[in-house]
Amino acid sequence: MTSYRTQRLSLRFFLLMLVLLLVQVALGVLLSLQHADPTLLSGTMNFNITRSQHVNLGVLWILSGFIGTILFVGPLLSKRELAAPWLIKFLFVALVAVTVWNAVAIFFAQKGIAGWWLGQAWIQEGLEYLEAGRIADIIILIGFAILAYVVLRTFPKRSEWNEIHWGLAIGVTALTVMWVFGMFFIGRIDLQEYFRWFVVHYWVEGVWEVIHISLIGILLVLMFKADIKAVGYAVFWGVTLVWLSGLLGNAHHYFWVGTPEFWQFWGSLFSALEPLPLILCFWHMYLDAHHDRKPIENKPAFYFLLGSAVLEMVGAGILGFTMTFALTNVWSHGTWVTPSHAHLSMFGTFGMLGLGAAYFIVPKVRKVVDFDQRFGQLAFWLVFLGMLGIGFAFAIGGTIQVFTYRTLGLDWFGGDIYPAMGTYKILLVLFGIVFFAGVLLLVFDLITLGHRVQAPAPQATDYAPPTTGWARPLRGFEAGIWLLGMWVFGLIITFGLLSYNLPRVQGGDPTIPYTAAAVGYPGLLLTTLLFVWRFLASLEARERASSVAMQRRTALAGD
Amino acid sequence: MAGNAVRVETSRRRAALLILGLMVIVFIILSAFSFVGSRDQITPDTVTYADTFGAVDGKRVFQAYNCMGCHTIVGNGAYLGPDLTNTYESAGPAWIAAFLPSAGTWPTEAALRVQLQNSNQVAETGITDLAAYYEAYPGAKERIERRGGLPTFMPNLGFRAGEVSEVLAFLKYTSLMDTEGWPPTPKVDGLEFPQAAKVINVASTRPTATDTRNAPATSGSSPSATTAGGSESGTMAAQTPVGDAPAEAGSATTSEADPAAGLALADQYGCFACHAKTEARLVGPGWGGLYGSTQSLEGGGGATADEAFLAESITHPDAAIAAGYPAGVMPAYAGILTDDEVAAIVAYIRSLETP
Repeated sequence: MTSYRTQRLSLRFFLLMLVLLLVQVALGVLLSLQHADPTLLSGTMNFNITRSQHVNLGVLWILSGFIGTILFVGPLLSKRELAAPWLIKFLFVALVAVTVWNAVAIFFAQKGIAGWWLGQAWIQEGLEYLEAGRIADIIILIGFAILAYVVLRTFPKRSEWNEIHWGLAIGVTALTVMWVFGMFFIGRIDLQEYFRWFVVHYWVEGVWEVIHISLIGILLVLMFKADIKAVGYAVFWGVTLVWLSGLLGNAHHYFWVGTPEFWQFWGSLFSALEPLPLILCFWHMYLDAHHDRKPIENKPAFYFLLGSAVLEMVGAGILGFTMTFALTNVWSHGTWVTPSHAHLSMFGTFGMLGLGAAYFIVPKVRKVVDFDQRFGQLAFWLVFLGMLGIGFAFAIGGTIQVFTYRTLGLDWFGGDIYPAMGTYKILLVLFGIVFFAGVLLLVFDLITLGHRVQAPAPQATDYAPPTTGWARPLRGFEAGIWLLGMWVFGLIITFGLLSYNLPRVQGGDPTIPYTAAAVGYPGLLLTTLLFVWRFLASLEARERASSVAMQRRTALAGD
Repeated sequence: MAGNAVRVETSRRRAALLILGLMVIVFIILSAFSFVGSRDQITPDTVTYADTFGAVDGKRVFQAYNCMGCHTIVGNGAYLGPDLTNTYESAGPAWIAAFLPSAGTWPTEAALRVQLQNSNQVAETGITDLAAYYEAYPGAKERIERRGGLPTFMPNLGFRAGEVSEVLAFLKYTSLMDTEGWPPTPKVDGLEFPQAAKVINVASTRPTATDTRNAPATSGSSPSATTAGGSESGTMAAQTPVGDAPAEAGSATTSEADPAAGLALADQYGCFACHAKTEARLVGPGWGGLYGSTQSLEGGGGATADEAFLAESITHPDAAIAAGYPAGVMPAYAGILTDDEVAAIVAYIRSLETP
């Protein structure tokens, strides 16, 4: 792989990503504590402030990861240095400045100061995900425009573009265009929600997804020397399916916000198709990882990329599917069931991609030949387990919340729902701490990468790749069975949410939805955990097999 | 052969992009139909509270305080607090005004009655009588009976003049919106539900502040009748469990003003929603060290905060406004509190004198 000088610019964005990630996750733990004890820091840093910071930093570090990755693959895709590197340096300064400014600005909500001027909120505007005021909005818009300009200027002539070029070019351009829809104060709630989801949905499910597919594609090409044509084919159909389903699938956000009822039909129909491209991406991950039989060179990078594709399918695909129908969404809407999907899909899909890319790119740019990969592997397991647990706590807590709040009509702070969800509020804190430990480890590891060299591989004397047992090679049929298993549990969850419509449940009997949730969520999340374990065990076995083969060759050469 | 495959793939891709183009058109048409005027969805520019406060201004306040960072509105937002879409419809403007700004406890019936005197509230609902209010807004009755005087988790936000009324206009607008039947209406009464008994017990083992408070409230229909008679209010103070010295509260009606009775009354009427027991300014001035201090007045001049000044500030707050505080924020308690009760509260304020 040729290396380019300007690729080094990606390092600072990865560093920023790690710092913001650390703060964001610490705030997440604080949020879970505030959920358990709402008086915590009340008056100093109210829950809504912590929550806005958590959400905003989540977006910002994911974007930093994207930018870092794009700056690394841009020159590779173009076979030349990045255009206008000084603009990238400026982009970095602007990104840091806007992050700091926005973090300060959000605190103004505690005093009810939005900075109204010319009808716009210039300091902060208190809309979920779009908390940033106009000042930050404009700087961010300029930043996106710089990124789009640099990427498009760096790319070769249009006639030389493959699908990955197209995906990234459309991605960075649409990133800029979509942001504009969130830059206006709108008095009508229905119209405001309509445009708010332009930014949130079309960003996440339209634009980020395109960038995600393109980046996963190019990283697979780089890691496995996968055939660029085959990957390009997957990128095209992945992106097209994302848009075919996601364009009208956005309607699932237009169900109860004052928009007309006909959206229920379009939203239910098309967003049910949204998992298709995610299954395609998942399957391609399997195919490309088995493109050759060589051991994985950079295990942490592959772990996180696999985690990204799997959690995308499970968190965005399956959990999203369960609550995308008007008849299930009417219950899940506005409850803890929603963040179970949001956490698994946001961190899973985009966060894990950024971390995987960092593990792949940082050693390449820093020219680290050998590093101890065990830290990254352990960190992966901690964040993966922590995130599955967070999803579990939200989902089961949410199931109880739907029943007590929507079916029994109990009051929120009358002390009714709060104690009912108590166990899962505590569980959320515990899994949050596991996740935080993983993040601490991976931030430490990535920043100090190369200071610790790889421990020598275990010197097996007579080892052959297992043909049976947990580490036997994973084949397509078996992977398909795992996939099917996840979807079966997903359907159980869907029927559980659907069952709230039954007169029996509405009459006050929670047996059916509680049973479905108690089977569905743990089943889905454990299957996911076991599948990733199984996938990685199968790949690890290659390494041992090849180290045995190498010893044999060495022994033969010695003879 | 390979060329043929490429051609097939190319035509497939063209077809896919064509379908995508069609979908864009479908989406644009649906979107246009979503916001045509004939659809009868309520818009905020047509909604006002008391014909004075606009719902769009209320939305600005709602956003300025980032309310959806804890609550949900039409189901979107965070999940710490309850959904606010139909709160206006359920609890009504007087209860919400008594709750906001919140300072640690849920409004008691006395605090609600204060808000019933508010001229904007009367202009909007035409209700001054508690029983009629409860009938119009049953959510208020349930909230007061179950939670009045109990701790709330909502932090004190220190609203500026007019902001609460603007928020009321906004919440009125969201209540009037057609949200396609969301949130679903419960088919059972959760409070009487066996599965809920366990969690209900947690709530009911706490003191319920207002069990016996309905009787005096239903007796009158005009503001003065509702609160006439110091002994009636004195009885209510005696029953409130949040006061430090409920037994002494009954003696508040006697000539000697009792700080303990004043504290009980202040708790009951929700004074601490706006006034701190320290010198800190919340919505109004803090009570700590207020007695005997010199206040410069809005429009020039000054006054010493003695018994007469403080009593006047409680009964007719807009008569003399301290500099830096907007008029029209504090309700006038003339006709709500008796002279003895005012004296008791003043005595309590005096007891907070800094040494």
